[in-house]
Amino acid sequence: MEKGGIRVDPVTIDTTKIKHTKKQPVTALEKLNDTGLISTLLAAREREGMILFSTIDQVFNWARLSSLWPVTSGLACCAIEMMAVAMAHHDIARFGMEIFRASPRQADLMFVAGTVTKRMAPRVKQLYEMMPDPKWVIAVGGCASTGGPYHESYSVLKGVDLIIPVDVYIPGCPPRPEAWIYGVIQLREKIKNQGYGAKWGLNK
Amino acid sequence: MNSAEELKNLLPGSVISTGLQLNKPMAVVKKEDLVKAAGKAKEIGFDHLSVITGIDYRDHFEVIYNFFSYSKKQNLAIKVNLDHDKPEVDSLTSLWKGADWLERETFDLVGIKFIGHPNLIRILLPDGWNGHPLRKDYDMNTEQFVTIGDNGDDVVSPDGTNLLRRK
Amino acid sequence: MESDELFINMGPVHPSTHGVARFKLRMDGESIKECTPVIGYLHRGTEKIGEMKTYLQFIPYTDRLDYIAAFPNNYAYVKAVEELAGIEVPLRAEYIRVLTMELNRIVNHIVSIGSLLMDLGAATMIMWGFRERENALQLFEMLCGARMTFNYIKPGGVREDIPDGFIPKLNEFIKDMEKRIVDYEQLINGNEIFHMRMKNIGVISGKDAVNYGWTGPTLRGSGVDYDLRKYEPYSIYPDLDFKVCVRKEGDSYARFIVRMDEMKESLHILRQVVDNMPATKLISMAEYGISPMTGTPTAVSTYFPRIFTPPAGEVYSRIEAPKGELGFYVVSDGTTKPYRVKIRSPSFCNLTAIPSLVKGLKIGDLIAAFGTIDVVLGDVDR
Ligand code: SF4
Repeated sequence: MEKGGIRVDPVTIDTTKIKHTKKQPVTALEKLNDTGLISTLLAAREREGMILFSTIDQVFNWARLSSLWPVTSGLACCAIEMMAVAMAHHDIARFGMEIFRASPRQADLMFVAGTVTKRMAPRVKQLYEMMPDPKWVIAVGGCASTGGPYHESYSVLKGVDLIIPVDVYIPGCPPRPEAWIYGVIQLREKIKNQGYGAKWGLNK
Repeated sequence: MNSAEELKNLLPGSVISTGLQLNKPMAVVKKEDLVKAAGKAKEIGFDHLSVITGIDYRDHFEVIYNFFSYSKKQNLAIKVNLDHDKPEVDSLTSLWKGADWLERETFDLVGIKFIGHPNLIRILLPDGWNGHPLRKDYDMNTEQFVTIGDNGDDVVSPDGTNLLRRK
Repeated sequence: MESDELFINMGPVHPSTHGVARFKLRMDGESIKECTPVIGYLHRGTEKIGEMKTYLQFIPYTDRLDYIAAFPNNYAYVKAVEELAGIEVPLRAEYIRVLTMELNRIVNHIVSIGSLLMDLGAATMIMWGFRERENALQLFEMLCGARMTFNYIKPGGVREDIPDGFIPKLNEFIKDMEKRIVDYEQLINGNEIFHMRMKNIGVISGKDAVNYGWTGPTLRGSGVDYDLRKYEPYSIYPDLDFKVCVRKEGDSYARFIVRMDEMKESLHILRQVVDNMPATKLISMAEYGISPMTGTPTAVSTYFPRIFTPPAGEVYSRIEAPKGELGFYVVSDGTTKPYRVKIRSPSFCNLTAIPSLVKGLKIGDLIAAFGTIDVVLGDVDR
């Protein structure tokens, strides 16, 4: 075998000799550790491995991102895609968010799906304020992000971020369900890295 | 003889002229006699009021009523001309219940007053909105915002205090 | 027995799946004494935008009126413009247009029935319905690359010819759908709870329905035999064989059954369209008298320039959209932009009757009646 003019002898590797250094996870704690979500695992020997040390952020964030409950706030065309995302074909239940709550009190995520008109804007804001903390907002579609096709209209708000803080913007008119799911994954990444620990880089 | 001419024969005093709205017969009617003409049209079979359109022609307004007859399968359009300073015409709500919202919409967006309408308030825009958007002289540059008042109804405010996060 | 009045505000964000409508209800105990619909929460000023855009630029906005069935909206506006300017359309394009519109009618009725059942508390139908809807959306995607907002039909024809492999997939869809409709009927039609919720609820006579300006399946549910496709035919509908589905009762159940039957008729139309579609044929330029300098007509579209000026005039043109009579009133003053675009939307006119329809009923029945009228708030508020 020639490589850059130097002759390299082929090396044979006996794969049977290779030992797996990484132990397969067996106990529940080890499995949890293996997910990578909780990286700091110090099991106290005397308690027979029943204590788990982690940062509080990591545990909380993991719990929060795994079951985001959205509030039903379909406003316009994008809301029909929201229904499509929730149905069997695209199945947003895979992200623990199949339960669209009718009441904002039980929800922690708001999809602003559709055109926010001037008349609807105070209602959207009220809905957001009624949600308990912590809460997140995803602006779906051109209309909710910037006013979209209706930017010139006299009765449309030019982006929902004028009235409430937005975490993730999903472009499209309407965004395809795949784009929608990508946006949800981005939000999960964001939640994973928030909290006090994030300031000191502890959550990674 | 098309339906507009038929109407003219029945009401020679009220119908000013007849013509075609591209392919549909159209009669121009004196605005005082609108209810009379529409009532006559309903009598001769035009039972479906399809649409009411208000148009701002800068010097005058036009309101066009499109009718259809389910029995005869014919079209008829009735047009009235209104002054620009005093856009008022009689309401057709006594003849068609469906005219209620159509007239409210025309009032809301074009600003034509329908006399005798039982509940002539804005329908698509909130009460207190400044101007009628489909008029040609509507000011598109001034933004208007809406907030919720004490009893849950909309309040129009020019600056959007309580609503916007920042100015 | 006398009881205190109770005011209930329903909406604008409420659990039923039609959009941002709001009802102010004055209740006497459990029954509705007075219902005042408040609309306009999705008013986007489409008619004003129509005056600010050129004829071609406005077509995407029509998609967003009735966003569940967007092809008929495209077509209604384009038909008005074509009538205004006197544009001829190749026959193959007309076939494709009817094909898309009938597919869209099926999609619309699926969504309408699904969300009606969901509002009544049965979640199965919407899951099933959206499964089939997804198949139809894949067909739309093959045609024009979009799932809901198409911008496919343009003056003079359609944007592109149908791609390879579309017809076999469509045939598959038709075959599948036939079985599915039987499934739906077995699921819903015999259900006793459904009957009790729907029969004799929200009854309206044919005469009243006409007086309120009802059109479409809602009107046909009240025994008025009227369908613009049949009695004021446009496009290729005169050549097609289909029947108008009418029910006498005028209650919620009748309106629901009309939609079910219309889906079958649409499948029947689709089969005929597929069988009779003229083959692709390159149209000679001489046929349309267009010099090669200005553009090339294709098999599915006569050439249509980006900026064009129809002669001054006005037209009211209407079609039978899935929800009823959809009309566009277009006024041209001889410039590149329309002077006025007025949209006569079926949902808006059908919703007018709701206060009288639900008087004396319970709140749950309001949801059922509202569901069978099948409005889309984008279409109501424009
Ligand atoms: S972004 Fe497009 S699809 Fe979504 S609400 Fe706005 S106009 Fe409709």
